[in-house]
Amino acid sequence: MSDGPLIVQSDKTLLLEVDHDRADECRKAIAPFAELERAPEHVHTYRITPLALWNARAAGHDAEQVVDALIGHSRYPVPHALLVDIAETMARYGRLRLDKHPVHGLVLTSTDRAVLEEVLRSKKIQPLLGERIGADAVAVHPSERGNIKQLLLKIGWPAEDLAGYVDGEHHPIALKEDGWLLRGYQREAAEAFWHGGSGVVVLPCGAGKTIVGAAAMAQAKATTLILVTNTVSAHQWKQELIKRTSLTEDEIGEYTGTKKEIRPVTIATYQVMTTRRQGVYRHLELFDARDWGLIVYDEVHLLPAPIFRMTADLQARRRVGLTATLVREDGREGDVFSLIGPKRYDAPWKEMENQGWIAPADCVEVRVTLSDEERLAYAMSDSEERYRFCATTPSKTRVTEALVRRHPDEQVLIIGQYIDQLDELGEHLGAPVIKGETKIKERERLFQAFRDREIQVLVVSKVANFSIDLPEASVAVQVSGTFGSRQEEAQRLGRVLRPKADGGGARFYSVVSRDTVDQDFAAHRQRFLAEQGYAYQIIDADDVLAGD
Amino acid sequence: MSTEFTEWLRERSDEQLRALVTVRPELITPVPAHVEGLAGRASSPSAIGRVLDRLDRFTLSVVETLVVLPSPVDQRALRDQLARALPEGVTVATLRAALKETVERLRTLALVYGPQNALVPAPGVREILETPAGLGPPAVEAFRHHPAERLAELVQDAGGESGDTRQALAELLGDREVVARLVEDVSPQARSALNELAWGPPSGRVPNARRQVRAESAQSPIEQLLARALLAATGDESVTLPREVGLFLRGGRIHRDLSPVPPPLDGTGRDQALADRTAAGQAFTFVRAVEELCERWSADPPGVLRGGGLAVRDLKRTTGLLDLPEWAAGLVIEVAHAVGLVAASGSVDGDWLPTPLYDAWRVKSTEDRWVTLASGWLSMDRVPGMIGERDERDRLLNALHPDLRRSSAPEVRSTTLGILAAAGPGVSPGIESVLGRLAWEQPRRRGGRRDQLVEFTLREAEQIGMTGLGVIAGHGRALLSCGGRSGAAAQALAPLLPEPLDHVLLQADLTAVAPGPLTGDLRRWLALAADIESTGGATVYRFCEQSVRRALDAGQGADEMLAMLERHSATPVPQPLSYLVTDVARRHGRMRVGTASAYIRCDDSSLLDEVMADRRAVPLRLRRLAPTVIASKTSRGTLVDSLRAMGYAPAAESLDGDVIIAQLDVRRTEGQPVPRQPVTFTGPEAEVVAAAVRAVRAGDAAHLARRVPVDAPAGQVPRSPATATINALREAIRQGSQVWIGYLDSQGNATSRILEPARMEGGYLTAYDETRAAVHRFALHRITGISDVE
Repeated sequence: MSDGPLIVQSDKTLLLEVDHDRADECRKAIAPFAELERAPEHVHTYRITPLALWNARAAGHDAEQVVDALIGHSRYPVPHALLVDIAETMARYGRLRLDKHPVHGLVLTSTDRAVLEEVLRSKKIQPLLGERIGADAVAVHPSERGNIKQLLLKIGWPAEDLAGYVDGEHHPIALKEDGWLLRGYQREAAEAFWHGGSGVVVLPCGAGKTIVGAAAMAQAKATTLILVTNTVSAHQWKQELIKRTSLTEDEIGEYTGTKKEIRPVTIATYQVMTTRRQGVYRHLELFDARDWGLIVYDEVHLLPAPIFRMTADLQARRRVGLTATLVREDGREGDVFSLIGPKRYDAPWKEMENQGWIAPADCVEVRVTLSDEERLAYAMSDSEERYRFCATTPSKTRVTEALVRRHPDEQVLIIGQYIDQLDELGEHLGAPVIKGETKIKERERLFQAFRDREIQVLVVSKVANFSIDLPEASVAVQVSGTFGSRQEEAQRLGRVLRPKADGGGARFYSVVSRDTVDQDFAAHRQRFLAEQGYAYQIIDADDVLAGD
Repeated sequence: MSTEFTEWLRERSDEQLRALVTVRPELITPVPAHVEGLAGRASSPSAIGRVLDRLDRFTLSVVETLVVLPSPVDQRALRDQLARALPEGVTVATLRAALKETVERLRTLALVYGPQNALVPAPGVREILETPAGLGPPAVEAFRHHPAERLAELVQDAGGESGDTRQALAELLGDREVVARLVEDVSPQARSALNELAWGPPSGRVPNARRQVRAESAQSPIEQLLARALLAATGDESVTLPREVGLFLRGGRIHRDLSPVPPPLDGTGRDQALADRTAAGQAFTFVRAVEELCERWSADPPGVLRGGGLAVRDLKRTTGLLDLPEWAAGLVIEVAHAVGLVAASGSVDGDWLPTPLYDAWRVKSTEDRWVTLASGWLSMDRVPGMIGERDERDRLLNALHPDLRRSSAPEVRSTTLGILAAAGPGVSPGIESVLGRLAWEQPRRRGGRRDQLVEFTLREAEQIGMTGLGVIAGHGRALLSCGGRSGAAAQALAPLLPEPLDHVLLQADLTAVAPGPLTGDLRRWLALAADIESTGGATVYRFCEQSVRRALDAGQGADEMLAMLERHSATPVPQPLSYLVTDVARRHGRMRVGTASAYIRCDDSSLLDEVMADRRAVPLRLRRLAPTVIASKTSRGTLVDSLRAMGYAPAAESLDGDVIIAQLDVRRTEGQPVPRQPVTFTGPEAEVVAAAVRAVRAGDAAHLARRVPVDAPAGQVPRSPATATINALREAIRQGSQVWIGYLDSQGNATSRILEPARMEGGYLTAYDETRAAVHRFALHRITGISDVE
């Protein structure tokens, strides 16, 4: 009996015992081909999916390495069928290649004629193909480069895209490392992307994804289009780029609801790109406005469907996706793989935390018992209103106030979903509230004041979910959320994970109504955190109030 | 019937006859009356076909050669003939040794008889081997239906002097020079047609085969051959190559490539230890899959189809539950059924349910459970691989369908695994290699059906864990050699199986990971208190509100659960988990639910006090739920009637408010399953063989002596009790003495016989009957009495 740290399950998950002597070595061996699914304290779960195997292939690993890694580290015999399956799946990648042909432009070539025949017979793919060139190749309309990759992935024959990229318009960009240095993993991530050509970099919130983007731009040295989630995030990208690179303010344009600047580096929001007037995307011309050499997608896991369609037409440009998680609530991971590119870099949260790049967090769920009247009202409310009701009960407000009082000297962020609840909290605590209707200027003023510690408590709605930078928030209180969204939970936790000046830990409270749907949703969200290795505690609201 | 053969058989020693009937047990079922009978049976087509089917390619080739060569054959001549076909690298010395052994074996089998210098194939062998080694019939046979004038033409065209008989033609064709000249004569196309037929099959189809063609007028290649008697017309549209011509074309050889040793098994080399571990891992998984199947079917059994079997939909569902490919799920189901762990319940709309045997099997150790399953698989005649195929009437063969069987399956399985075992440690022979070896070992049984069975066997052996990485594992080898009777297989398997653990790793995401198999108690407890999320080498359990509630429902207390967690956790119990348990327990049971089939409601509680106090109300099984409500277990009608009888005036209420709870019941079949008789291949037992041979000898002695039937002594045989009869008979068998019995014949007439008893079994006595001068079987219960012969 071997005593390896790895156990292979029949559903193709891998269990890694983290306290094992050889766990670290094993993690390194399996990380290229297995997605880390859960990382709680003792046993990490990785999953082998076709996408993960193809990611590994794209990164230059072969089936033999994968099989060796499994057999070498496995505690129990690995089922033969599983190994065969892995070898077969991996062999599917690279049978088809997209190449550049001097005469025919873009061609799809195959090392396996039978596969090519199968593809040629596919009704959906046929229209994308041009004339047959010899027995093993067929021309592809250059505009269909993205579509064909999507469709090929769907039928299980992912194509390796070797057709290369246009260089785009040259523009000098360099990192300006004065007083800060590119971290090791940031450099590795940027380089991994550059060698791969296109792809996705997965880093936890607070790990400095913007800087990885900047490093990628410094590699490309070309005009760049950056797509971000919202206006505040656009501003921050701009500030960060001015600070970290040789770019000046004049070289960076913002293309948002209010400003429409097109400069060598242009930052646009998803929202403006997906605005339609009479069924027509009005800002599509942005993609053609310049000869972009690089396109950066911030928060790839939120990429809206129309952007995928636009991206399909941009396959000749280098693309880098930045995200904290490849998990998409809509399950379109395959589109990310085929249109943006394979995963190029990945580092687990916990590891970053151990290295001190992100602050350790302490998660606490506070269970509030509803009063009898509240329970009765809850039982009678309509099913659509139920969550809203239990998420915004007055009992919660009391507990939240008590929690804020517990941390008198710290920067506290209160995050919620429902505006009236937030307004009420703001009023009780005497804290400003940032919500959808708050002007951008005002928002930035408040953020700055919070940063400068002029304000200690800030109440924010979901508008602040993404890409706001609040380095000194050390306590977050979540009073309500978008139902059970795991990805929202990750984002919110990210708000307090950025390294603190004093190196101290962060606290993340979730206030939850007991025995209601709120509790169910919270359980769903927290499972995500627990799976990321954040041990959390559950305490009763009465304890909080009593200690007050 | 050849008397020579009978004589030869008669002269065999008792020991040799015993050896014969041991390897050909069909010859003594039933026991023949005398040696002549035995010889007759040994040369019957079916008996010969059976024994030939068991011969390997070399032995069969020796028989074929003996059939082709003119009898009798000197062993040296036989060897010379065979030596011509030896492949390169095999020395004549090897052949000599192999041949000596083979001829002895053929004698034992009574397929060949006669002394060393005059070997003769047993009567009947020639008839069965119609085309020995792919050679056509001899000319005498081939031209049988040709009229004399046609034969005369053929003889003339073949360059013979004169003659119009088949013998004359056969003589001509027997001359190598004549045939050489004739073959020389024909066109190259005709030559290539001959070469096509040379190595068999020797016949072909042509239109108008009986055409009358002469050598000088022959046009087409076929006509050239027909005119020169190089082909014989055997029908209107069929021609065959006469044996003499075939032998000439083969250059005097009978076989093309004749190896006295089996072809080597080619295969990938594997580490035997790794193969053993892989197989053990698979064995563990398989046992677990069967257990999972029975557990699932306990609570939610699939129905039995009207024609027997399991519906396709149910198979699909089970496949999903077991997380296996469909064929593997079919295997799990079939094996569980074959060893009696699941069976159809007896009722009309039956269900497939685990049997009481399952409860006994479940508590055994993993290795013992595996041995049960694997030996059941080896000996079952069911073929799970055929699930989903259609039978000859185009009906779908479902899993567990009664027709899903092939009688040859057990033998193919043991032969195939035998070949794997012969490959030696650490060798994983490819399927081609196995099929090649099998074709050598049993050349007469080849065919697509068998190849398919072999393929199934290899696939299933891997799934069950007999083999690992295609190499037969140590425990698999042990099981093959001992047939599941001894514990050797279990002993070999046990150390390879992972040790059962008594701890799990509890985590804050409410999962528990068992990094290996768990001890029985802990496993059952976890299955109750948590949901299984993934299985394999480890098991991942997840605690959730429902699972904790399920444990509470089953009578667990919160403290008890927490203690259990603490005791079996290698690390501290995470706070969210203990919180979950306490939180669910806090709410558990606050509401109570029960069944009542009727109730009494009354605003006046004193009236209900009165009812409760009334002794006549005892049979109604009343229970006071609240001051104004009483629940009863009787039906509403009975309750109303009884209350009226007691002098009250109740009114019935509508059914609203009845509570019905569907309860999940674990179900079992009603009776014990009928244990299936395992098929054995060990042949008849030695005692039976000895007795049979003695009976044949006795019968034969009588037969030879042409003993006249002896008259039974006059008078009635004194009646004796059954036990005395049996004791007396046993004594007579032992001493070989004669007895006088009274016997009721099949018409019920009382007769009187003098017997020489040979053997007694299954309620029957086999004995030589002096009064009838023959060997007969007597039903013991019809023997009315016994006495010594004076």
